[in-house]
Amino acid sequence: MAELEHASDIESRRMELRGIVRLAGEVIAQYWPMRTFVHHNPLHGIEYLSFEEAVRRGKQFLSGNGYLPSHVYREFLRTGRIQPHHLDDALKSLAIDKRVLLDTHTVTHATVLRACLAEGLCSPVTEPLDNQLADPSRRLIDDLAARLKPVMVFPDLAEQIDSTVRRDEAALGRWLTLSHWCDDILGTQIVQQINDQLIKWCEAFLDEGHATWAMPEREKGLYAAWKAMASHEWSVCDIKDSRKKIQRLPDYPEDALLESLDAMGIPSELRQDYLSLQLTALPGWAGFIKWRGEERDYPWQQAYPAGLVKFLAIRQWYARELIQKACQEMLGIEGRFDAVADYMHSHVEEYYLRRQRVAGRLPALYAEEVDRLAHHRGTGWKAVLERYKMEVVPRQESATLRGTAKKLLSLVGFLNIEAALLNDCSSTDLKQLVDWMEAFPESEHGPVWLRALEASYQEHLLGELRARPYDPDRSATNRPYSQSVYCIDVRSEPFRRHLEPMGPHETYGFAGFFAAFIRYRAWGKEHDTEQFPVIMRAKNEVREIPRSYLDHKVLQHEARARWLHAGHTLLHDLKENVVTPYVMVESLGWFYGLPIFGKTLLPALYQRLTSWFRQLSAPSLPTTLTVDKLAPGDTAEMLNAEQQALVRKALQEQFGLRSSRITPALVDALRQRALALGEDSNSAILTEETTRAGLPPEKVNEFIEMLRRQYDLNARAISRHKERITRTGFTVEEQVLTVDTALRMMGLTKNFARLVLFCAHGSTSDNNPYESALDCGACGGNEGKPNARVLAMMANNQTVRERLKKTGIDIPTDTHFIAGQMNTTTDEVQLFDLEDVPPTHRADLARLQEDLKEASHLTSQERCRRFPEVQQTLPERTAHAHVRKRSVDWSQVRPEWGLSNNTSFVIGRRELTKGLDLSGRVFLHSYDYREDPSNRLLEVLLTAPQVVAQWINMEHYFSAVDNEVYGSGSKIYHNVVGRFGVMSGPWSDLRLGLARQTVMNGELPYHEPMRLLTIVEAPRKGIEKLIARHDVLQHYYHNEWVHLVVLDPHDGGWYRYQPNGEWICIAPQRIEPVK
Amino acid sequence: MVTMMEFFASSLLTAVPLLGALLSLVFWSDPKRVKTCSIASSILTFALILGMARLLPPPPTGLLSLYLLPLGAMTSVLSHPLHEEHRFSWMVTLVCLGFGIGTLTGPDLSGSFFLMMLLVTIIALLYRHHTALWPMSWWGVGLLIFGLVCLGISMLTVPPLSSIASLMICAVLLPLAPLHGGYLTTVTRLPGNLPSFVVLLLPIVGLHQLSTILSAIPEDVVSVVNVLALVGALYSAVKALAQSRVRLVLGYGCLSFFSIVWWFVTITGATTPRTALLVGAIGLATSGLLIAWQVIRTRYGDDVDPQAISGLAAAMPKYAVVLSLLGLASMGIPPFGVFAGFMGLVLTSPQASVFGLFLVLGAWLAASWYIMQLVQQLLFGASRPDLRYTDLLNPELISLLIVVLVLLALGLVPSTLFSPEQAVQPQTTVFLESLAWRN
Repeated sequence: MAELEHASDIESRRMELRGIVRLAGEVIAQYWPMRTFVHHNPLHGIEYLSFEEAVRRGKQFLSGNGYLPSHVYREFLRTGRIQPHHLDDALKSLAIDKRVLLDTHTVTHATVLRACLAEGLCSPVTEPLDNQLADPSRRLIDDLAARLKPVMVFPDLAEQIDSTVRRDEAALGRWLTLSHWCDDILGTQIVQQINDQLIKWCEAFLDEGHATWAMPEREKGLYAAWKAMASHEWSVCDIKDSRKKIQRLPDYPEDALLESLDAMGIPSELRQDYLSLQLTALPGWAGFIKWRGEERDYPWQQAYPAGLVKFLAIRQWYARELIQKACQEMLGIEGRFDAVADYMHSHVEEYYLRRQRVAGRLPALYAEEVDRLAHHRGTGWKAVLERYKMEVVPRQESATLRGTAKKLLSLVGFLNIEAALLNDCSSTDLKQLVDWMEAFPESEHGPVWLRALEASYQEHLLGELRARPYDPDRSATNRPYSQSVYCIDVRSEPFRRHLEPMGPHETYGFAGFFAAFIRYRAWGKEHDTEQFPVIMRAKNEVREIPRSYLDHKVLQHEARARWLHAGHTLLHDLKENVVTPYVMVESLGWFYGLPIFGKTLLPALYQRLTSWFRQLSAPSLPTTLTVDKLAPGDTAEMLNAEQQALVRKALQEQFGLRSSRITPALVDALRQRALALGEDSNSAILTEETTRAGLPPEKVNEFIEMLRRQYDLNARAISRHKERITRTGFTVEEQVLTVDTALRMMGLTKNFARLVLFCAHGSTSDNNPYESALDCGACGGNEGKPNARVLAMMANNQTVRERLKKTGIDIPTDTHFIAGQMNTTTDEVQLFDLEDVPPTHRADLARLQEDLKEASHLTSQERCRRFPEVQQTLPERTAHAHVRKRSVDWSQVRPEWGLSNNTSFVIGRRELTKGLDLSGRVFLHSYDYREDPSNRLLEVLLTAPQVVAQWINMEHYFSAVDNEVYGSGSKIYHNVVGRFGVMSGPWSDLRLGLARQTVMNGELPYHEPMRLLTIVEAPRKGIEKLIARHDVLQHYYHNEWVHLVVLDPHDGGWYRYQPNGEWICIAPQRIEPVK
Repeated sequence: MVTMMEFFASSLLTAVPLLGALLSLVFWSDPKRVKTCSIASSILTFALILGMARLLPPPPTGLLSLYLLPLGAMTSVLSHPLHEEHRFSWMVTLVCLGFGIGTLTGPDLSGSFFLMMLLVTIIALLYRHHTALWPMSWWGVGLLIFGLVCLGISMLTVPPLSSIASLMICAVLLPLAPLHGGYLTTVTRLPGNLPSFVVLLLPIVGLHQLSTILSAIPEDVVSVVNVLALVGALYSAVKALAQSRVRLVLGYGCLSFFSIVWWFVTITGATTPRTALLVGAIGLATSGLLIAWQVIRTRYGDDVDPQAISGLAAAMPKYAVVLSLLGLASMGIPPFGVFAGFMGLVLTSPQASVFGLFLVLGAWLAASWYIMQLVQQLLFGASRPDLRYTDLLNPELISLLIVVLVLLALGLVPSTLFSPEQAVQPQTTVFLESLAWRN
């Protein structure tokens, strides 16, 4: 009974721990594999907090800045990106009604705050103890410092030490782990040591086929595999008896983690924060493990399970051992939470001096003395501190006074007041000015700057939108040449803008997966791609297959593809083998010079040549998609055919039988026996057929068992396979629903053109691990081509059209839907399934293609102006050639640069934005509120495409404000690891976010980081209901992650939604040109 | 016999900097004029040395040392910021320069007198600037006093005692473990710009003394010195690796290189212009690094902790370039003088033992570790947002550029330029011939 209770107690502790770890993991974002890069908010897990609070948490746990450095905002102010009156508006809530008189000049509190922002007066500056550089204002500074001296209050050193100890004690466990504490006080590098170990193990364990030699025993899971391998390591971080200690660890990671936490004495109320801090020490690897842990269907996770508990169990073991070692060796105390807290209180002098020493805040002689005392475990700490108090503290105070005097001089300089007037001002007034400045430290400037920047941009955008005449009841009358639907992506906006003036082309914006939630497998590929936003799930599968009239060419194509694949595999194996590279480098090494020179010197030509060769060796074949569901009979037939092919293959492999000797009867008999169908009636035929084929009778049963086990020819596998086949394609009802939803959401329900284009988007770039980041976010980081093709095929289906007619969407018989894809790196549009276009539409098609081409060139021309190395208007064809070259240039760090600078999301009719140059910064989703009286469609738009847009926006925001923490640093140092991510150099955390080159242009941000502005054309009442219904919308608008502005068609007014749930009518503004 | 002209030239060269020091007292109230006077005196001394080189008695290690001293004094003063507190160190720089030139050019007795004065000056300065937080400075002062006593003994006694005493002085000036404490203390504890000058001055004076007494040192003592040099080279390289303070890293680094010089001297039994080249280049490169460190101290305080400064490559690009070049020169990377001097000695020391050479190369390689570590620490890493960064001011830039260019010249100009009459030693000739291509 006691044992049972004990077991139950252990299990409940494990469950409790798993819960704590899950909560601790909220602060880190999931990390999707790079091949399906998903833009997301790195602080997505804490969106339930206000933006400012979440940014503070980001600082606490990740040490990431949530705002741009102040000098960048100041540059924005200087160049007009931020208008001065917006800065004043943003400061209003902070300013108090107080003033100081400087002779005839009145200096208000608001003026001082503004000076702090605009002049950087509150930047933290460490004033040197000796001021030796020549300074013409030195005398003035010294005089001011002397006047400030009586009124400035400096806390006593003992008080400072006391507050430091109290602050550090409070931070321990919440902001500071014991490992960090040791590093900060003892100068150890425990965090780095642990990180290095974890990077090593994670890199090896999580590898997805990149490594030549895979880590053994991975099938046991992360913790068990680590335990098995690390217990053989000769020396782990110099930990004594590490091998024995690792061997003795519990089998369950939960138990190991609990043991470590208990050993370090982490109080239970701090464990969640403590573990958050541990996870955020390596947010990349932890984020990827978090993602894997939640993706139970992910094949690599199924094969090699990993999870945050396992990760933390390993991490905490290293932490516990290294902390213990450091504390015992250097302080003679236990490496426990309580012992460390005791030490801080009982050895205040030593603690303070050590802390200052490691932080580099002690003068060199004192630093040496502290080192000596620490090395010899001396007892003279108090004497050194006394000397420090006598010698250094007064100098520090003088330096602080000088620094304050300099700030005052800068303040009057900014206000154009003569510096000499400061001498006439009383010391108390001077102190007042100083206090105002000190009460507004630079760490609090970020939110003010951000509000001012956003207001400047929003005023301009809203001004432009409002300058257009608004008529909600106007409807189109003439039939357009074409209608084309593009992804909501900001990169579609310039293209649409350039296409529309070419002729009566109507364009629409819609999430690039076109309402087709599909899992897709391209022809000749072995893996599926998930073609829908990552927050959704797929119900249907679609496969690409060659067109039926090409059956005779398929076999030939497959054979060539196999040869190419075999050649590629052989080359790879020769490169990776232990011995062969020695020979291969000599014999074939020179051959690699061709691609190197080709890609470097003539990238465009090289790309054309390789494409030609690829086409020559394995020409692509026209394909179609399995959009329709198979009938039950067809499914059975397909299954039978596949099973029979399997049996034939097995007979050839196991018995070496020639095809001529494998009769259909033999195959079917073996198949039926393996599946245990009609066993009795089948046995005689089987015996007869096997005898005829010359198979030994004693081997037949063995062979059948092999079919079941090795070739997966058994009832369970067949059932799985059948289930999968039935998921392939859509029923007619599903197709009708998909087309109906898509057309209604985009507001395209009448006045159909003869040609309607669903244009997805993808990209081409070379040597770019971030390639999928340029693809469609709504398609899970893949190209949207399959989705566009699926929707076009459905919409062309006559049965679907007939059913749609009943729902009120009457598509004319002469309307044909075609699918296309825009390459966002070259701006070219490729159309698909053109052989299905009726001959009657050839002229329409030719005209559309011509206009698409022209729009593509104009878009390239516009885009080229943004590239730092171009920055001018190139002729159309030159621009086109330039962007094509960029797309194949393997040294190009910015092959596209289109998605950066996104700021807003407009949900409304195209009439609102048509003809406006939105500079490729706005997501455009077509929506006609008149088609959606119940707000059902708007609900989807706000909770799905808006989420995608917000994730993209926030990914760019945080990558721009702190590229080292939330972004991935420079691309120059990136190395692909494990086929799922990148590291900086050979050894680092998995790099999150976007590369520096994506969001920065030199030292200034190319992407101006602002929170998303969503503009919706719909009645406010309906939106209020939607906000009340969805947590995600409340988080966005109430916590200020997204700004919401509504154009209410009822009164034509523009309203801003406030965090408190109220609406504010936006008064018309004059438009200020934004440089 | 000292000729009249030689005496006149020697006296004049010694007198100019000393008169400059006196003159600076006249301008004492104006720091700018004191500095200008110091620089002008150094330049004048350099010009006079150039002009009167033929009149001086030919020193055994060539004239390079004489050229380098006023250059070192000039760059050291020029780089120093204009501040009234620094007037004293500028004046003392001229005094030390005068005593140094007097030691190098003066006849036996007057040379010893000037050396004595130099040592007394340095000891007095160290005594004045002693701090209880640096107890090691007593040990250094003690060793300098020991050197002073040895100088007295060498003047009053006869060989071999006088030779041994002279050797001790040499080991104090051109540092050799275990008598290196005096040198380290001067590099770390002297005020103002003096360390960056004395780091060059003392070894040059030490080498000069050594060249005069080397032939009189007993073989057994030479063997002991040989072992001490090898051990010292390794010991000081390890010590340099373990230091966190810039001046100590540079001090121990210097000691390591000078120990290598000692080793070459003991195995060849002579000092040559190549030895002077190596000593001068090491001293000058270290002087340059000390000036570069002075630039940091000027901005962030005299007692700034080097570990608190990083990321200067982005914030102070001119400084970063010059510091990198000086780092390369100090490590002994071509085409700078340290490399040229080192290779010159390696190639002209055929009797060097392989074991010794191996240890010496180890110490040389270690320099690329600790000096690079120092340079990396300062230049790379994150820039601190709370520090004001001011790149090199013109005087600092000019001063450091002169050092870099001179180091470059020392690496490229043939060493015979500084000692045209110097005969190549017979064993060296044989060795060089053995390296020649045989047709």
